[in-house]
This record gives sequence, C-alpha cells and structure tokens, in this order.
Amino acid sequence: MITKFKLILFSLLMLIILSCGGNDSNVETIGKNSNVAPGLASSSEDNTSKTRDNIFRLNFSDPPTFDPALVTDTTSASIIVEIFSGLVTLNKELEIIPDLAESWEISENGKTYTFKLREGIKFSNGDDVTAEDFKWSIERAANPDTGSLNAEVYLGDILGVKEVVESGGSIKEVFGVKVINSRTLEITIDEPKTYFIAKLTYPTAFVLNKEYIEKNGESWIDNPVGTGPFILSEYQIGQTLKLKKNINYWGEKAKVDGIIMNLAGGVSMAMYENDEIDITGVGLADLERVKDPNDPLNRDLVNVPPQFSLNYIGFNVNIPPFDDVNFRKALSYAVDKEIIADKVYSGLTKPSYSIIPPGFPGYSPSIKGIEFNEELAKEYLAKSKYSDPSTRPRIIVTIPGTGGSPGLDTEIISDMWNETLGIDVEIQQVEWATYLQDMNRKRLQLWAGSGWQADYADPQDFIDVLFYSQSDVNHGNYSNSEVDKLIIEARTEIDNNRRFLLYNQAEQIIIDEAAIFPLWFDTDGFALVKPWVKGYEFTPIIVPKFKDVEIK
Amino acid sequence: MLKYIFRRLIWMPILLLFVSLIVFILGVYGPGDPIEVQLGNNYDEVNADRIREKMGLNDPVLVQWIRYVGNAAKGDFGESYVFKNRDVSELLIPKLIVSAKLNIISFAIAISLGIPLGFYAAINYGSSKDPFVVIISLFFYAMPVFFTAPLLILVFALQLDLVPAAGWGGVFDKRIILPALTVGIPGAAVFVRLIRASMIEVLDSDYVKLAKAKGVSEIKVLWKHAFRNAMLPVVTIMGFSLAGLFGGSLIVEILYGIPGVGRISLDSVYSRDYPVIMAIVLLGSSALVVANLIIDFVYTLVDPRIEML
Repeated sequence: MITKFKLILFSLLMLIILSCGGNDSNVETIGKNSNVAPGLASSSEDNTSKTRDNIFRLNFSDPPTFDPALVTDTTSASIIVEIFSGLVTLNKELEIIPDLAESWEISENGKTYTFKLREGIKFSNGDDVTAEDFKWSIERAANPDTGSLNAEVYLGDILGVKEVVESGGSIKEVFGVKVINSRTLEITIDEPKTYFIAKLTYPTAFVLNKEYIEKNGESWIDNPVGTGPFILSEYQIGQTLKLKKNINYWGEKAKVDGIIMNLAGGVSMAMYENDEIDITGVGLADLERVKDPNDPLNRDLVNVPPQFSLNYIGFNVNIPPFDDVNFRKALSYAVDKEIIADKVYSGLTKPSYSIIPPGFPGYSPSIKGIEFNEELAKEYLAKSKYSDPSTRPRIIVTIPGTGGSPGLDTEIISDMWNETLGIDVEIQQVEWATYLQDMNRKRLQLWAGSGWQADYADPQDFIDVLFYSQSDVNHGNYSNSEVDKLIIEARTEIDNNRRFLLYNQAEQIIIDEAAIFPLWFDTDGFALVKPWVKGYEFTPIIVPKFKDVEIK
Repeated sequence: MLKYIFRRLIWMPILLLFVSLIVFILGVYGPGDPIEVQLGNNYDEVNADRIREKMGLNDPVLVQWIRYVGNAAKGDFGESYVFKNRDVSELLIPKLIVSAKLNIISFAIAISLGIPLGFYAAINYGSSKDPFVVIISLFFYAMPVFFTAPLLILVFALQLDLVPAAGWGGVFDKRIILPALTVGIPGAAVFVRLIRASMIEVLDSDYVKLAKAKGVSEIKVLWKHAFRNAMLPVVTIMGFSLAGLFGGSLIVEILYGIPGVGRISLDSVYSRDYPVIMAIVLLGSSALVVANLIIDFVYTLVDPRIEML
C-alpha cells in the first residue's frame, strides 16, 4: 500500500527533475563488467548510431532490495517481479493467472489450497523448482531473522505464519504449508478468505532457491537466482542496473536480450529526445508541447492508465469537530470538486464520490456520493453542534511535504470551506516521516495530501483495510457496527458477486456518514515511447511486463 | 609544528564523538522512525515494535550510541536500514568518489578561471575592464544551478548535440563537462571577487607602494609582494571548498544524472536511514576539521609571519 504521496513525489521528480541518465548505449553484451572503471567502460560515442541493440533502456531508481521477502516499496517490487515469480501472477488485465502453479484446487470449506506446479520448471541457474522450495521460501519470509517487514501482511492468513513471526525465530516451521510431493503444495489458511489468492501475487510469496541460498549465505542476493523472465546481470548502486534474458524461464522467453536501467538521474525528457532512453513520463510542464500534433514528439505520446488509488481528505472522528457527522457532511457538501478538476487540473483529475476506483474489482457506479450543494452544506452546518464559530474547536489540516506550499487542491478546498461556511482551516505542513508517525498514532485531526493505492486487486484492500474499526490503518478511528458486520461477512463470502455487494453496502454507509472526504481518483497520465519499442504496456498495478517488450 | 598538528588531530575523535552523540539524540527523540517510513500504510504497532526490538532500536540511546561507536572504531559503520543487507561503506564509497571527482574538476575550473580573472580585474582597477569582469562574474554567480543546468543541457546536448544530456563516465568522459562547468563557473566568480578585493587592498598598502617607489619591477611587485599576500583569504575559502570535496550537490546530480552522494544524503534523512546519515555527518565533520588544519598549515607557507604554535 503505497501512499499517494510517493506517487506525487515521483511525478514531481518526473516533472521538474525527471530522473536518470547515463546509459552505456554501446554496450552490446550486458555481462559483468563492474570491475571496469566506469570511465573506461563507456565511451558514449555512438548515441546516434542507428544500429539498435535488442535492449530496452529506461530511467529508474535504486531498488532498496532484490530480496522478494524484504520488499516494501514499488521500485524494488517492479524489478523483483521480473527476476522472480510465484505460484500465481497478474496479467495485464489484472486477472489472477497461473504462473509456476499450472492449476490449483480450493477445498470445500475454502481454507485449503492445493497447488499443482508446472512440470520441469527451473531456476535461472538450472536447478529444479520443487514444492519444497516454496515451503522453505514462505518459512524464510516469515522468520524474523530474515527481516521482512510485511510478511504478516501478505502471508499472515496462512496457518502457522503468525506463530513463526511472533516466536522471534525459535519456531521455524509454518505448519499451514505442506509438501505433498515435489510438484504438489498444500496451503491452509485460517478463514475462507477469497482475497487470499490475490496476496500470493505479491513478491513476499515468491519462490526462492533453497539450495542456492543456503550455500551462498547472505551474498546470494548479489547474484539472485529466480524464476522470472529476466536475470540480474549487473548492478552498480546509483549508476546502472542491467537485466538479461533468463533462458531457463518456463514460459515464452523475453523478446529483448536485456534491459538497461539508468539509476543516476538526469533530465528524462532531454535524454529521451537525445535517444538515450526509450521511454519517459511526461510532466505537466512538457505536456502542452508534446500534445501539439506538430511537435515531433507527438507521435510517441501514449496514455498511461490511472493507478488504482484514491486521494482523500481524512477526518478523525474522535477529535472535535469531526466527531459530528453533520459537521463532516457540511464540509463535504461545500466543495465543488468539478470546478477544481476543470479549472485547476485542466481535466487531468477525476473527482471521486466513492471509495473503490473505477475499473477496480468491486467498483460500483451506483454508490451515491455527496455532491456539491451549497444549501445542504449550510443546512448541515446549522444542524451540527459546531455551528457557532465562537465555540468551534480550532481546525488544522496536516499535509506532508517540505516544499513550504501546500498542494493547490488543499488550498482551494480550505478556501471553499471558508467562503461557503465561514469555517477557517489552518494548513500545517510536516515532513513525511513525521506525518506518517502522527497518522499511524491516529492523532491527526484532519489530513490531506496522502492517499491509498491498491496492492492487490480486491476491494478488501480498500473497504476492510481502511474502515474496519479494528484496522491499524483506519487512521480516522471510524467505527460503525454495521460496517464492521458487513466487512466480517465479506471476508468469508465465497461468491464474489455477493462479496462485492457487501463491500458496496459498507461503502455506501461510509460515504453517507462522510467518514472520509474522497477527492480524486488517479487519472490518465502521459508518457513517450520510442517508435521502435513494441509491446510495452502501462499497468495500474505492478505486473511483470518487460518480457513482452520488443525492439524493432 | 608536528606537535601542533598532533594536538589538533587528537581533538578530532573527541569532536566526532560529540557530533555522533548529538545526531543520535536527535534521531531518537526527533519525530519519525525508519521502520514506520518503510512500512508506510502497512504500519502496525506490534509488528513495527518487533522489528525495532530485533534491530536494537528499542535500546536506550546511550547503549545504541556506545554500540555504534564501538563498531565504527573497528571501521564497521553498520548496514543501511533502507538498502537491505548493504553496508554503509559499500553504499557510500562509490558515490563519494564520484562526488569528489566532480568537485575536484569543478574546483580546478573555479581556480583556473577565478584567480587570473580576479588578478586581472584588480590590476585594472579604475579602468573599464574591471567593472566588466566584475559584472560578468556576478552574473554567473547569481545564476542558480537549476536554471543554468537545464539551459546548458538544452544548448549543448539537444541543440548542438555535442554531449549526452545526462550520465556519468568519470573524469575523462565528456559527460563531465556540463556539470563541472555548472558548479565551477559560479565558484570561479567567488574567487574573482575575493582575489580582486584582496589584491586591491594589498596594492594600496604601504609596503607595495614602497616597493614600487624603490623601483622594483612591476611584475616582481605584483607577483612577489602583492599576490602572495592577497592569497591569504583565498586560501581560507579554498580550504572550505576542500572540506566540501565529498559533499554532493543534489540539484546538479539529479539534473545531470550523476551517481554522487547528494541524493542519498537527502533520501537518508527522509527515510531516517540513521547509519547512512551518521556516516555522512561524521565524514563531513572530519573533512571540516582536516580542512581547517590544512588551511592553518598553508597560511604559514603563504605568510611566513604566521607561525604554528
């Protein structure tokens, strides 16, 4: 669950600074040459040479880790899904499809999953992949000695994982995972949770080579061995990261020989125009230019689909004046999001009136949201116990950042509150780590500038995680027994249609009670892709995608 | 003099101890927590606390500090919290080398442009050449790098296609030209102003006038009597530039795609990557101490009247 803030940071980087430079465009084989001094390794002569290597070049940033068990961030995850893989994966339509498991069966009570592994699957070093490797990998991820921060989030449903995590390392075996034979793996979970399978697409559940890691110890990660379509062939911290085709990959092999990622930064647009990279995001600053059909870059322009994320303003229902539903509603009715989207963001953002984003499983267009209505806003304010400004508690909206100026939307919204309702809101900007700390302690009164992005394609990741009264990330302390009841019921509902309906019912109550003030769903972005690159697709969730890229 | 140097150096570890303690205390009592930043929205108090316990972050500050100092004394600066299983030294050294290379080249540009120009302006004090040099150097001094860098990229990489827009290939790669000029030229402007001011002052002093009156040749007066004395304040500034040798410039690095130490310095603060922050702060402090020492030492070479005691 990566917050919107990181996305904003990222797009800001794209916009102003635009990451990354430094590709060795004349390197033909991307072998190990990390011993060669960078000055000698690349003479950077033939940038303009038209004989193109079968290599895809892009800007990226340093991944904090290559270890699937340790990943917490999108940068690492995007690379890890190319090097490693698991039982199941997501296709570009975000459906869960078999990966290393060719099929699976779910027991009648919905708690036991029996996975049948594909025949003859191998690690990139040629070793066979067995069910034993899977069991070992899950146990390794759960073991506190490994240092995974989120093993419990992704694997905690599996029987025995919690015991291992909490034992501090004394218990090693996860009894919910059984090896039936070398090609059959049985996983038992605590409740019949339909969304469990979606969690297995996250790297924490990926398979690692037991023998290889036990033999090489901690240094295994310098030359990781996985089952993904690519192999890490070279990594120089802060400089370059190179992937090459894994010839032992079980499926259709990658069409490019390799990927070169520049990690050092640089003005991305300039590098793209100079043919130093094959793909770049387009920030607002360059958007007008590249949208002009007369601009040579215009033919390279592609749409980037929105991320599945919700940007919102959070209310803490324990802290006055937000303990009063009428007050929250008054604020919600007082903001004209359409005007902001239209005039401020030139239609680039899409106002949201519900929680689950369009296109996401469980999205319902029939949720009735709170739309701009000045009269109703005033009415609800009059009804609330905080209608008298002299006795109304001070309101502070906290936003993350170090820029000194809040986001434009926060400013306009507080202006609208002031104009329509005469409510004054102070804006307080704090640095990110501090913001997180206050948010996690649930002590922010009103907060903006962060959002929620889905980690796996299930509405549980929005409704249950954000609004269940006992959830750790229910930062606004929202609690409604009926919502809780619906959420608990949905957890074990096997029929997806019925399950989504339960989530939608809960969603409607949450919206009606103005427990949260939804602002924007993520909207289309723009990117440039060189005409010789085929098959690169932008996806709203991290999925393996480099293997389909072709250079022609 | 050796005794003096020794006495100065002996203070260094004590100073570093203090610095590290202050950083430690700020880290522990300031807001924000490394585990929390990494967990982001997946934060859960029990889980986070278990991880902190495992990493020793729950120990009292003094215990943590002593442990750190003990390890650091053995040359072990710990592992980054963010970059898993990577030693701080493994993470920082390549970046420090890159930053140092860029800084040395920029410094060389700054000196080789700044000193002659400042000298030139000073000896032409009163003529129209002087304000010309001053205005030009002030112009470059006033240009912020986030303006000059994109401009240079636009002209030299995109329009003229002489160099790639970004990247790093070491000192002998042409990609170093633009960043080195971006950093070096405003640096040169500093030296122009310094040399000019101090030369004018020296040229106006009695002993220079006397030397001239004695009939010492113009060149000898300028070179032997004036220039050496005018160099004193310049040495100070050069020394501090040296102290910043291993520092990175965030903006220059990001715009030109240079894998230096600037970005990781900033990122480590945002992510509360204490081992990395600590190493950078300690290195910076040591560099400052050493640079001060070198400045004092060079003073005695430039000006024989100054003695080390």
